[in-house]
Amino acid sequence: MTIKMRNTIASVIFLLFGGFMFYASMGVKTVMSNDVGSGYVPRFIATLIIITAAGKLILTLLDKNPNSQKKESSTSDSLGGFGTIGLMLLYMLAFNSVGFILSTVCYLFAQMMLLSDSTNRKPILFAVLSIAVPVAVYALFVYAISMPLPVGVFGF
Amino acid sequence: MIMQAFTAIFTPVCLGLIVFGTILGIIFGSIPGLSATMAVVLFLPITFGMEPTNGISLLVGLYMGGISGGLISAILLKIPGTPSSISTVFDGGPMADHGEAGRALGVGILYSFVGSIFGILALWFISPFLAKVTLLFSAADYFAVAVFALTIIASLSGKDMLSGLLSGLLGIALAMVGMAPIDAATRFTFGNYQLMSGFDITVLLIGVFAVTDIILVGFGRRGLSKKAEKKPYQLKGYGLSMKEFIQQLPNALRSSVIGVGIGILPGIGGSTAGLLSYTAAKNSSKYPEKFGTGIIDGIIASETSNNAVIGGSLVPLLCMGIPGNTVTAVFLGGLTIHGISPGPLIFSKSGNIVYGIYIALVVSSLIMLIFERLGLPLFVKLLDIPKHILLPIIMVLCCVGAYSSNTRVFDVYCVLGFGILGLVLKKLKMPSTPLIIGFILGSMFEENLRQALQASHGSWSIFVSRPISLCFLLVAVISCSLTVRKNLKDKKAAALAGASINTEEEEG
Repeated sequence: MTIKMRNTIASVIFLLFGGFMFYASMGVKTVMSNDVGSGYVPRFIATLIIITAAGKLILTLLDKNPNSQKKESSTSDSLGGFGTIGLMLLYMLAFNSVGFILSTVCYLFAQMMLLSDSTNRKPILFAVLSIAVPVAVYALFVYAISMPLPVGVFGF
Repeated sequence: MIMQAFTAIFTPVCLGLIVFGTILGIIFGSIPGLSATMAVVLFLPITFGMEPTNGISLLVGLYMGGISGGLISAILLKIPGTPSSISTVFDGGPMADHGEAGRALGVGILYSFVGSIFGILALWFISPFLAKVTLLFSAADYFAVAVFALTIIASLSGKDMLSGLLSGLLGIALAMVGMAPIDAATRFTFGNYQLMSGFDITVLLIGVFAVTDIILVGFGRRGLSKKAEKKPYQLKGYGLSMKEFIQQLPNALRSSVIGVGIGILPGIGGSTAGLLSYTAAKNSSKYPEKFGTGIIDGIIASETSNNAVIGGSLVPLLCMGIPGNTVTAVFLGGLTIHGISPGPLIFSKSGNIVYGIYIALVVSSLIMLIFERLGLPLFVKLLDIPKHILLPIIMVLCCVGAYSSNTRVFDVYCVLGFGILGLVLKKLKMPSTPLIIGFILGSMFEENLRQALQASHGSWSIFVSRPISLCFLLVAVISCSLTVRKNLKDKKAAALAGASINTEEEEG
């Protein structure tokens, strides 16, 4: 992606967000008579977002710097990144229904496997840590700090 | 009140928590990729169930240790553990190359302590004075202060002011979800009752800082197995004689003053303080050509200054409720959770807690001085912990922290949502610090704006008719104009050099 494209995308996202915020704040009713109402400041902020984003968009489109047209080099690993997001999503969905310990064991093992490569992948060590860490955290929170964690369908 | 604070801090539990926090902070600070902010964010939920003094003391220890720990990897790996230690690498790295890694570490630890103590003294003496001044502030003035803080942070946290402003405005927008101040009208909940109470600051912080960083590591997982070369070290005492210590006092004093000043100004951060002090030390040195070749003067300037920032950054936080950087933003969350409202009345309402913070900072500095030196072999070993093991464990702690803040799974989902938001901001090269500051200042901004407009019957002239408000707004406009001018100059210079401007910011 070029710098110009990146800045254009950012400006458009914020323009749309500002527009949506302004629209959503139109429905907020004024309760007190001697007050500007709870919708006033959101509309004010939405207007500022629209003005700032429009300013950024205009400056980006007017930018004649050839460097901003160059593509930025990227070495990001999509599988690693989106895989991490996917694992986090699955973990959070399972957090309450499956329970803290079981969901954490699965998440930790899968995430460690995903982040490691052939040179440092040690499945047995990962498995031991994946069991030990959630048990220790559960014991600390539930028994030492008396802060409950989800037990899930299996009761632990 | 000071005696009350003394008795509250000098209990075995509280002292134990400070020791634990400081050591853990040093570990977080020393491992590149982890930060003081992450340490304070992760442990914030654990403080919920603690006595206010104990909880705040733990956070103080984490903050102090987190900033001080960065020098270990800066010297041994030539990678700063935290951005605050960037300038420590300039002379720490060459000293390690010459076989003086131990001396560099010892000097760094000793002057981190000196800087911390100077910062705490400044905090102790400046805060009550500033609190008295802020008692004169009305709603219109507070609104102007919020605008000033936001524009300064947006201007300074990245190199593109418009991106910073947009990020700050997004933060204010997020703060408006839920019930409004003054009349409790419900806004932007879209029928979801979980949003009635708005987003929790802890959840936002965990998401935007910790989770975003872990996702980014996922995108860069190929570099995880590469290990930086670690230099060996040998150290006796703190690596310098009494004569050298006295000789370096002017350098330390100058760097401390710069650190405190930079700390008080919102949004600048420890790395700028370190770089400014380093430059000042070099410019006033009798042997400027030796800087960068491995001399203790550079390490002293950098480490004294970045630790003095700690005390300085707490001045606006305690007196006006304005966090100057990400760590103090989390710290503000900690104070609020324990029912302490920073502002001009903090000394009369929660004086014992404020003095408790001062004493905890002094104790934590002493613990840092002793334990960072004694525990060096352990901290150096911890640099070997593989990231692919450490970061998933941190992610689990993030989820536990988010869940414990309100005991609801909704907050765990929000953590991922904010993590992805932070990722989008990073990909768009937009700074995330203004987002957090905007979120924190959002309610102050709205409440004071509405109260001021109520008092003036809807007239905006109230903001320019009050001298304090007018001053802050003028400074905000001037700072914005100067930043725009500087941005344009930088862009021109970058265009001539055939490069592009990096708009990313630093994290504490």
